[in-house]
Amino acid sequence: MPSVAIIGSGPSGCYAAQALAKARPDVSITIFDALPVPYGLIRYGVAPDHQGTKAVIRQFERLFERQGVRFAGNVTLGRDVTLEALRDGFDAVVLATGLHDDLRLGIAGEDLPGVHGSGAVTRAWNGWPGAEAPAIGRRVVVIGNGNVAVDLVRLLAKTPEEMEGSDLVLPPGTGVQEITITGRSPAEAAKFDPVMLRELGKLTDCAISVQDVSSGEGKTVEALQALDGHAPEGARKRLTFRFGMTPARILGQTAVEGVEFTDGTVIPADTVVTAIGFDGARAACDAEGVVAPGLYATGWCRRGPRGTIPENRADAMAVAARIAADLPEGPGKPGFAPDCATGYDGWQRIDAAERTAAPEGRVRAKITTLAGLLALAKDGET
Amino acid sequence: MQIAILYGTETGNAEMLAEDIAAHLDDHDTSVTNLSDMDPADFTAGTLYLIVTSTYGDGELPASAKPFEEAMQAAGPDLSGIHFAVFGMGDSEYEETFNFGGKRIEELMKGAGATMLGARVTHDASGADMAEDLAFPWAEAVVAEAEPALAA
Ligand SMILES: Cc1cc2nc3c(=O)[nH]c(=O)nc-3n(C[C@H](O)[C@H](O)[C@H](O)COP(=O)(O)OP(=O)(O)OC[C@H]3O[C@@H](n4cnc5c(N)ncnc54)[C@H](O)[C@@H]3O)c2cc1C
Ligand SMILES: Cc1cc2nc3c(=O)[nH]c(=O)nc-3n(C[C@H](O)[C@H](O)[C@H](O)COP(=O)(O)O)c2cc1C
Repeated sequence: MPSVAIIGSGPSGCYAAQALAKARPDVSITIFDALPVPYGLIRYGVAPDHQGTKAVIRQFERLFERQGVRFAGNVTLGRDVTLEALRDGFDAVVLATGLHDDLRLGIAGEDLPGVHGSGAVTRAWNGWPGAEAPAIGRRVVVIGNGNVAVDLVRLLAKTPEEMEGSDLVLPPGTGVQEITITGRSPAEAAKFDPVMLRELGKLTDCAISVQDVSSGEGKTVEALQALDGHAPEGARKRLTFRFGMTPARILGQTAVEGVEFTDGTVIPADTVVTAIGFDGARAACDAEGVVAPGLYATGWCRRGPRGTIPENRADAMAVAARIAADLPEGPGKPGFAPDCATGYDGWQRIDAAERTAAPEGRVRAKITTLAGLLALAKDGET
Repeated sequence: MQIAILYGTETGNAEMLAEDIAAHLDDHDTSVTNLSDMDPADFTAGTLYLIVTSTYGDGELPASAKPFEEAMQAAGPDLSGIHFAVFGMGDSEYEETFNFGGKRIEELMKGAGATMLGARVTHDASGADMAEDLAFPWAEAVVAEAEPALAA
């Protein structure tokens, strides 16, 4: 039977496997990932208090549990296996490695202690192995007007009680008093999902004011106007939205002290988180995801760091259809996994241990060191 | 009696559930169709329609059900004599619009004169229940109710 290697077990890789398994049940599929745990940003990006969004994992569990797809974790392409070896060993190889670098502002002061990128921050809060959670002070400026920025301010504003049902034991912003979220464009051009904004209206310990939103129309502006003046009794935190503000430089000598904007405004801060997008090496491929014969790309590593899970699903389905048509019938290459690979059973042991360790009111307590994950993933090996 | 399972989805949960329901009803003649491929002119009286749909945006139908919604509004078909049931998928995190997708399908079908069997059942992605644990009993009950009416 022909074999396919998919590199990356995020939504793109998993949806590609799902569509391929459906179109070509005769194909043997292996999904590789650098980590011993699957699912990419569903586990390490999607917010810990959005467990419903993470529930797509149930579809992917079926791939490994019933549809014969093999998980080869703990295998980093370029370190543990080369692309040439994969292309030799499999009939088709699909790159679904995502994009993880935080886009930089490119302004002075960006490397001061206390300035962080949203990818690094959300990975740490989501328990990415080895990622150290940044210290969060009392006055935080979040730069960026997309949904990741909203995730950040919501999590910073939440109380431990508001994390009920999540997989994060303590919210990161217990000492926060003041959060300011800034964007370059006017309110009506902000990329926020209005529904995500509305969710902020449920915060119990955070008052909200929205500046510069008197003009403009549309659902985002309406949602912002509805948030303005949100004032739960006794709220200890304050969140302010500011628009039309382009950062000029980050102020401070040995640590961040504030952000100066091009109009001269200075917002004092001891913590700055930039949430202006992601970057990284994209696969050079054509519109159908073909990099070279037998080599394909899908998801963020194909299209760039834009789009949510539904868009990655559509992309993965299209690329899988192309692969299904290209793959030969009949016997193919056998495929392989290097010796260091950990399997789906390893992930199942990790999953069970994390669920068992969950404190009251939480759905899991993540294991956050690679050594801890590998100990469980390799347990049972002789 | 034929059973047509129609689904509206964005991230695939409703599609997987539709396939699970078809497998569960394997002693019947079933088909599974994306609502994006469903023409309102194709509804037939001898078929039971089980419609599974999620909810997106501001309590709207998911992308794959949008063309169906538009076609129903444009065509204004007469669906009297058509029997259907609705299983909605949503997430109670979206409090104000929880499971509006299923509700919308119910409105569209009833508005065209179709008869709904059973009550609309909803699944909560943030809840503890597996969708199939709610959907299988729902499907069995609806099929039992439909059999006398639709048995040709
Ligand atoms: C903070 C944040 C919050 C988000 N929230 C939402 C949300 O609520 N809803 C939503 O729909 N979308 C959300 N998104 C977007 C969503 O996560 C992405 O659209 C999606 O995960 C991209 O999928 P992907 O499979 O291309 O990449 P990824 O999910 O990044 O998966 C890539 C996988 O490849 C692996 N990998 C990388 N390099 C290698 C290598 N060299 N060798 C082996 N494996 C490798 C990684 O370990 C990872 O598992 C969010 C994104 C972020 C960053
Ligand atoms: C961006 C987004 C918006 C959503 N909006 C709603 C909503 O308004 N009401 C609701 O009940 N569920 C909502 N949901 C939850 C989905 O309907 C639920 O996750 C469902 O299981 C998805 O099924 P699907 O994979 O078939 O699309 C939303 C989910 C997302 C990701």
